[in-house]
Amino acid sequence: MTLDLRVDLGRGLLLPNPIGVASGTFGYGFEFEQLVDIQRLGAIYTKGTTPLPRDGNPPPRVAETAGGMLNSIGLQNPGVEQVARSYAPRFAGWRVPVVVNVAAATVEEYVQCVRVLDGAGTIAGYELNISCPNIAHGMDFGLDATAAARLVSAVRRATERCLVVKLSPNVTDIGAVARAVEDGGADAVSAVNTFVGMKVHLGMRRPVLPGRGTGGLSGPAVKPLALAAVARVRAAVRLPVVGVGGIASAADVLEFFVAGADAIQVGTANFADPGIALRVLDEVADLGERMGLSRLTDLRWQAAPQPA
Amino acid sequence: MTLQSSDLRRARDEVGAVIAVEELDGGLVELTAHLPHLAATTRAGEFAQLRCGPGPVPLLRRPFSVAWVDGETCSFVFERVGEGTRRLAAMRPGDMLASLGPLGTGFTVRKGMRRVVCVAGGLGCAPFPLLARQARALGVAEVVVLHGAATASRLYPSARFVRGDAAGVRVVESTDDGSRAHHGLVVDLLGRELLADADVVYACGPNPMLAATASRLRHGLDGSAAAPVREASLEAPMGCGFGTCLGCALPVLRDGAPGWALCCREGPVMPIDAVDWEGLRALPPAHVA
Repeated sequence: MTLDLRVDLGRGLLLPNPIGVASGTFGYGFEFEQLVDIQRLGAIYTKGTTPLPRDGNPPPRVAETAGGMLNSIGLQNPGVEQVARSYAPRFAGWRVPVVVNVAAATVEEYVQCVRVLDGAGTIAGYELNISCPNIAHGMDFGLDATAAARLVSAVRRATERCLVVKLSPNVTDIGAVARAVEDGGADAVSAVNTFVGMKVHLGMRRPVLPGRGTGGLSGPAVKPLALAAVARVRAAVRLPVVGVGGIASAADVLEFFVAGADAIQVGTANFADPGIALRVLDEVADLGERMGLSRLTDLRWQAAPQPA
Repeated sequence: MTLQSSDLRRARDEVGAVIAVEELDGGLVELTAHLPHLAATTRAGEFAQLRCGPGPVPLLRRPFSVAWVDGETCSFVFERVGEGTRRLAAMRPGDMLASLGPLGTGFTVRKGMRRVVCVAGGLGCAPFPLLARQARALGVAEVVVLHGAATASRLYPSARFVRGDAAGVRVVESTDDGSRAHHGLVVDLLGRELLADADVVYACGPNPMLAATASRLRHGLDGSAAAPVREASLEAPMGCGFGTCLGCALPVLRDGAPGWALCCREGPVMPIDAVDWEGLRALPPAHVA
């Protein structure tokens, strides 16, 4: 039996394999391009891109925790115009699909970003970031199912490209938000963005991170939380689910497929090991073959029906 | 002097055996490992991201200046300030060490420089042994290392700056408590005579020491221009070390306007006049582990 690694995220976005790299951990690919063979990846989900350039938050912006890291970067990025004008042409020579992560404050701004990027020829799709915990109003759409549906349907009308919506775990019912974005016309969802967390400097009697003192927690510490979120999203929608949260090995990847994922993103692990996503890809292919799988989704757990 | 962004194409992830872990006085540790790529390519002031254990604790690598290169080996100087450095210090000869490097922008060392002055506060000594050798190899007549520490035992041994080049490298020490040499701050040693014919001043150490050095170079010499090249090596809590996570922002001035620069790409070595020293002072102390 031959293992088929391809993943159809919808609307013509066919990933060559399920191993992507998460927004905010891979820039726009240009640094990693100098270090590893990024063309073999399943997809690059870019840094969150906003209508205007952003300088980002004051430092310190990162803090390590037990098995994880907090970040409060504040969506530092060059703005959508530069991404469309200068970066997109560079993607043209790449085999790897580039999904541009888009973040904004209003429905109109999201639509405007997508329109600008639609004018650039070499973008595979969009990941709507409705879940950034580190800027004012960054999670407004991600925490409210009605607002999320309204946003997604507006962006849906603006583009024919594949629309992935990145969900926030900082909600009571992630399944409800997932259903809302499915109803709004999303092609896929990614689950999950970072968890709001805090590290305290006891000696200084204050949080390590400035401002509100909180940041987004990622890394192996969040993997069980992310797996649970993926399972809840899987139970709520029929859309492809891109799992993300603490993945650092082939076994982690397969666990996300058991929980209900159709593809995954390697995130924080890229920082400590720039070659890790490619190594995970090779190991997943090898492991899947040895397990006799024809598709990784064959691993999916069929949850017993739960009482309401 | 403007900020430069580092070239990542020289960086490589390599794994090599630890050769030695030496305990120096005052809690300093010098670790030497077989890292041929780093040894062949690094320039003074650049750094490597070292993996301190199999993970997930500590999760991220730690950045270290390359202190010395000998053949195919590289040495790093540090003290135990957190879990990462504790684990590195506990390594034994034969243990395998992963290094990604060289990374960052190093010191500007050019042919034609005659006298080089290095200001090293505490562990800020780390990049200067290699700098002294690379400067001498480029024909610099004299490298003066001003090295200060809190107390005598915490001074990096002066012989390790010199390393076989006693003729061209001079070390002048200070201690905050007066237990050896000059009683006072290392920046006190940055005197007029020394600066009069210095082509360059490099500084590395805690932020207040760097700020004092910057201030002295700018204001402390009756307005006369001292040392056309002035550079400082800074640090910041770092995620990736190669410009992707955007975590290690430092306050800088670009054409006089305040902004951020990444310590890992446009630093760690920056032109002293490009650093926003007021902005840096306003930040909470870096919580590095």
